[in-house]
Amino acid sequence: MPLELGREQSPGSQASLATMPEAPDVLEETVTVEEDPGTPTSHVSVVTSEDGTTRRTETKVTKTVKTVTTRTVRQVPLGPDGLPLLDGGPPLGPFADGALDRHFLLRGGGPVATLSRAYLTSGGSFPEGPEPRDGPSYGSLSRGLGMRPPRAGPLGPGPGDGCFTLPGHREAFPVGPEPGPPGGRSLPERFQAEPYGLEDDTRSLAADDEGGPELEPDYGTATRRRPECGRGLHTRAYEDAADDGGELLDERPAFSAVTAPLAQPERGSLGSLDRLVRRSPSVDSARKEPRWRDPELPEVLAMLQHPVDPVKANAAAYLQHLCFENEGVKRRVRQLRGLPLLVALLDHPRAEVRRRACGALRNLSYGRDADNKAAIRDCGGVPALVRLLRAARDNEVRELVTGTLWNLSSYEPLKMAIIDHGLQTLTHEVIVPHSGWEREPNEDSKPRDAEWTTVFKNTSGCLRNVSSDGAEARRRLRECEGLVDALLHALQSAVGRKDTDNKSVENCVCIMRNLSYHVHKEVPGADRYQEAEPGPLGSAVGSQRRRRDDASCFGGKKAKGKKDVEMDRNFDTLDLPKRTEAARGFELLYQPEVVRLYLSLLTESRNFNTLEAAAGALQNLSAGNWMWATYIRATVRKERGLPVLVELLQSETDKVVRAVAIALRNLSLDRRNKDLIGSYAMAELVRNVRNAQSPPRPGARLEEDTVVAVLNTIHEIVSDSLDNARSLLQARGVPALVALVASSQSVREAKAASHVLQTVWSYKELRGTLQKDGWTKARFQSAATTAKGPKGAPSPGGFDDSTLPLVDKSLEGEKTGSREVIPMDALGPDGYSTVDRRERRPRGTCSAGEASEKEPLKLDPSRKAPPPGPSRPTVRLVDAVGDAKPQPVDSWV
Amino acid sequence: MSYIPGQPVTAVVQRVEIHKLRQGENLILGFSIGGGIDQDPSQNPFSEDKTDKVNGWDMTMVTHDQARKRLTKRSEEVVRLLVTRQSLQKAVQQSMLS
Repeated sequence: MPLELGREQSPGSQASLATMPEAPDVLEETVTVEEDPGTPTSHVSVVTSEDGTTRRTETKVTKTVKTVTTRTVRQVPLGPDGLPLLDGGPPLGPFADGALDRHFLLRGGGPVATLSRAYLTSGGSFPEGPEPRDGPSYGSLSRGLGMRPPRAGPLGPGPGDGCFTLPGHREAFPVGPEPGPPGGRSLPERFQAEPYGLEDDTRSLAADDEGGPELEPDYGTATRRRPECGRGLHTRAYEDAADDGGELLDERPAFSAVTAPLAQPERGSLGSLDRLVRRSPSVDSARKEPRWRDPELPEVLAMLQHPVDPVKANAAAYLQHLCFENEGVKRRVRQLRGLPLLVALLDHPRAEVRRRACGALRNLSYGRDADNKAAIRDCGGVPALVRLLRAARDNEVRELVTGTLWNLSSYEPLKMAIIDHGLQTLTHEVIVPHSGWEREPNEDSKPRDAEWTTVFKNTSGCLRNVSSDGAEARRRLRECEGLVDALLHALQSAVGRKDTDNKSVENCVCIMRNLSYHVHKEVPGADRYQEAEPGPLGSAVGSQRRRRDDASCFGGKKAKGKKDVEMDRNFDTLDLPKRTEAARGFELLYQPEVVRLYLSLLTESRNFNTLEAAAGALQNLSAGNWMWATYIRATVRKERGLPVLVELLQSETDKVVRAVAIALRNLSLDRRNKDLIGSYAMAELVRNVRNAQSPPRPGARLEEDTVVAVLNTIHEIVSDSLDNARSLLQARGVPALVALVASSQSVREAKAASHVLQTVWSYKELRGTLQKDGWTKARFQSAATTAKGPKGAPSPGGFDDSTLPLVDKSLEGEKTGSREVIPMDALGPDGYSTVDRRERRPRGTCSAGEASEKEPLKLDPSRKAPPPGPSRPTVRLVDAVGDAKPQPVDSWV
Repeated sequence: MSYIPGQPVTAVVQRVEIHKLRQGENLILGFSIGGGIDQDPSQNPFSEDKTDKVNGWDMTMVTHDQARKRLTKRSEEVVRLLVTRQSLQKAVQQSMLS
């Protein structure tokens, strides 16, 4: 047979929406003043004083000189002639976290210097500002205090080395960087991001304008912050200025800038700086427009490598702000190779830098575009993040790290990397502690409750995504010590507190569901529990049901049914194997005790994803040929879970109906269940079919996958059960089915429905009734024209699982900036789409060539990891009946 | 297209050229394939399109694995397929009739 191609494939697109935190208020802002174009370059200078109070950087620009003023300025360097030198720096904003101590020390503090243009242009002599601290410190631009040039003569010792330029005299007005609040003003924690220009400048300017203590303390910054300081300062400065210049020096007062021309460029090497100094915007205090240019992205990225740490931190924070909800910027950052810089900062010695870098990475990692995620991986981002998580005690950092990991985890190639580097850490540092689970429970204390923290939510989201990555991922998670235990504990705690709608619970249940997938094949020692080969009926196999290869015994699917009946009888007295010690770790996944938990979630939760996942977990657990599945199916019945599921069939949400239908289908592998479901669920199932065929309101129609799932469930329960087939007739299912076949747009639905009809027709006992109602074989068959299956033959047992082609792609759930988490599920490649005897519909499944991966892609932002069970045959009891060929495979190429 | 095993078949074909995408270190095509002579034809997931050739390799008598390998060769960035489709067949027939 020639190779057949699937028409399309939806690769598992994972969207993991990670959280994108809202950029914090941009506290830092860089302001640049543009100088006349045509001036040459600027150079980058960094000045730091010992306490890191001053910062300045200048970025090089080809044509214009831009100076960025920083808000704080501590010292005023004095030029050789005693005039303070102005230098502009980027106002990276107050490194608000105080990483740097930006306080202006007005008194005794560092010299405050703002070299304002005013200062420079005023031409006056300056008082010298406080002596320059060791090293170059300059006040300039800053919001530092404006220095008022003392009227006195040139001050004493000029600035030591590292003087800074003199502001050029270009400006007509002295416009220094806004003079910072008068001494003592510490940089405000919250930097109001607004143009620095005016108020600040005027502050300094005013001084020089009047040359007197006219510094209005109403300059923006000053006023904002410490008006009184300013005033005081000014006054002081003034007074000081009035004094002998020497005093200024001694006291290092802050002084307002005055218009005084600073020394000229011939200040040696600093000469070139003066051009930079031009920063002060013109002083028109009435003008409120920003005069500072925002730094360009390359500049911001360059600042990430600035020697001054607060610059780095601020640059990262600003970057985070720029990237927020801006895919173009995110892309550019990657293109400009900004991501390795940020990842490198995750190991920086300063906490603030690490925190900001992580915040920026979080935003950058969020989004549909997977390239950033890949780039972060390529520069070692995952191990770096995990290291940071281990080291960090600060909760905000932990939230950021885990949020970033959540974002990254939606990208499929990264999932295994996250498991490799991060699984142990995430489990032991976050999941176990926050779940309340104790490894060695203290007898005396009551069990702790889970803490639903953001960190836990992010981590559980990340693990949810990675758990969808296939068999190996599942194995690793199952075997991670304490993980399953902790998750179960957390879920039980949630149920106990009736808090089951939150996102963390949803994530945990999804992980449990994913890990329950294929337990019967994948857990160590599973084969011990496999049902033995069928022996003589009624043989003392104890409570083991035999579902295996019926063909070998009886040669047909039907046989399975027969055998089941016999074996099922043994199940009424189901005895669970005695356990010598409590189950631990992955064993907990399939202990019958979980049934109660899932049923509680199904009863209480209103979160559709949680409902779907809980039903999915039951579906997964009920599948399989092993003993635990048998117990679970019986336990569900005993815990009165069937009515719970049936009621959920009324849900208006597609995914819930679908998951529940398939769960019921698997559960009906248990004979008693099948009888009960046939009686109690038939009406609801038929109602869903009817709704599919004629929706009660436009737009209320169920999706194809859901309809097919319901049909398959009906098929399962009417197969090999005359009573159930009768129930179907009584529920007026036949007209609905025939109508569906006739009217459905979907080939799969029509086929599934006709399959059911054929099965019904195969009951000779019912023919009379059917014919009385006017049905003829022809009518039934015509409905099945496209069906390729055997006509009129007893339908093969319930293997038909053309379930869920998982295709919806969900968006990555990333947390939004507003901290709303959009769940993200990673979608994994979907193994077989369905093992439908008749036809398989790849529909968007992307099988990774692996057996049954099932990752449903859901459209809504909450994507879940694999939907309940593999889309494939949960009910895969036996391979094709009577068919020697192996199960059909499809591969994703 | 009716197909009788062992008999020559005439079919309308379409040439399709696909450039593989890069996903991580792999080159992928982005769709699923099913079937193969080792598979049960009645369970073929995709029955509408059939591939006759891939980059010159014959696909009419290959197993599923062989087919997959031929499509996923790392060295080839472009895959040229010769595909037959039922809908093509019908379309051609209809156009011939009209």
